[in-house]
Amino acid sequence: MDETERKLLTETAVSAGEIMLVSGAEIFRVEDTVRRILQLSGSSGTQTVALGTSLFVRLDSPDGSGITVFRRIMEHSSNLNRICRVNEISRRLCQGEISLETAYRELGKIRKDIQYRPAVKAVGYIGVPAFFAVLLGGTWLEGLGAGIAGAFLACVCYLAANLRMNDFCINALGAFTVGIAALILKSWAARGMNLDMVITGAIMPLVPGVTFTTAIRDILNGDYASGTNRMMEAVVIALAVAVGIGGAMALMGLVQGGGQGW
Amino acid sequence: MVIRTVAAFAAVVCFGLLLEMPKRYLLSAGFVGGAAWMVYLLVEQAASNIVAAFVSTLAVALISHMFARIWKAPVTIFLVAGILPAVPGASIYRSVYYIIQNDGSLANHYLMETLQIAGAIALAVFVMDSVFRLIQGRGKGERFCQSHGNTDIPDWKGGLPEGHRRG
Repeated sequence: MDETERKLLTETAVSAGEIMLVSGAEIFRVEDTVRRILQLSGSSGTQTVALGTSLFVRLDSPDGSGITVFRRIMEHSSNLNRICRVNEISRRLCQGEISLETAYRELGKIRKDIQYRPAVKAVGYIGVPAFFAVLLGGTWLEGLGAGIAGAFLACVCYLAANLRMNDFCINALGAFTVGIAALILKSWAARGMNLDMVITGAIMPLVPGVTFTTAIRDILNGDYASGTNRMMEAVVIALAVAVGIGGAMALMGLVQGGGQGW
Repeated sequence: MVIRTVAAFAAVVCFGLLLEMPKRYLLSAGFVGGAAWMVYLLVEQAASNIVAAFVSTLAVALISHMFARIWKAPVTIFLVAGILPAVPGASIYRSVYYIIQNDGSLANHYLMETLQIAGAIALAVFVMDSVFRLIQGRGKGERFCQSHGNTDIPDWKGGLPEGHRRG
């Protein structure tokens, strides 16, 4: 393998790792994928360090030098489709079914790949709250209320993402909208509704339950820095949601007078 | 309970849309989620919610590993889908919410709950991963280029590679 090929291999490996990190894969899976791709070079001198916010890769060359590449990971999201496709490409690359160039090009495509249109996502935003309220033991009335709050959440998330707001603001604004919608429903439409159940259901698309659990899994696997990293990420998201709901309650308290304030 | 299980199925399918779940796995992911919540509800009647989360995640991890091998997909896809209903998202939000509200005891209560449930789920996944790693052994793992974690670290028999030894 000559120097150009080694460079391309390292770039391919680091791209695969970066996509997986951005999409919320576990740290050990990211490092494993990168290492397997690097091993195609035949060199035993490979190093991979994945942290929650950065990725470092080194491939030693036979002449004693080496290629070091690192990336800063800025965004975080959950995207199972990307994880799945990177996995597929890396598997086929390792088995020699596709060439390195093809793999590199495919990885470039995955970056821009979005599977579901906003309208389909909206179904998710409405369905998740509605069904979660029922799953947690609510009645159909609470499911309906949570679904309506979820519809507002879908609109806000769509608009906020188009305005390129940062994640904290999107989450806080979304939670604020959900809170207002639930409180209005409670006071003017359905007084018998369990408010707590509706709000809990409706914020489900926002709250970082999976992130927090992945953080603990990372820690159990020995990736302490990345695990703590993810845990903090989860806490910040939860803070955004709590600020949003708290703000909604305070505002409605003011409007209605003598309600629950801070 | 049947209604809540069906709701879990639907909720996980809907969540799949938000998490960009690959289309061909949407329904099987929903199945994992529904199964997980049924086990959770059954166990919860006899034991605490922490035990329920642990046992249901064991079941989820087992099914996920099987599905992952059948369809040659990453385990994560089914795992995430399965733990979605039990994951302590609402607890972590409440814990932070009561910190803002200056209610220390409730904040503590929900923080403990978050750590316990997330810990139970993570531990169950970890246990099942380890079991599968044992069963599968080292050699066979190669077949699915990357179904597992740190099973084969490159050999360092001669210490550091040549490049590093130069003064």
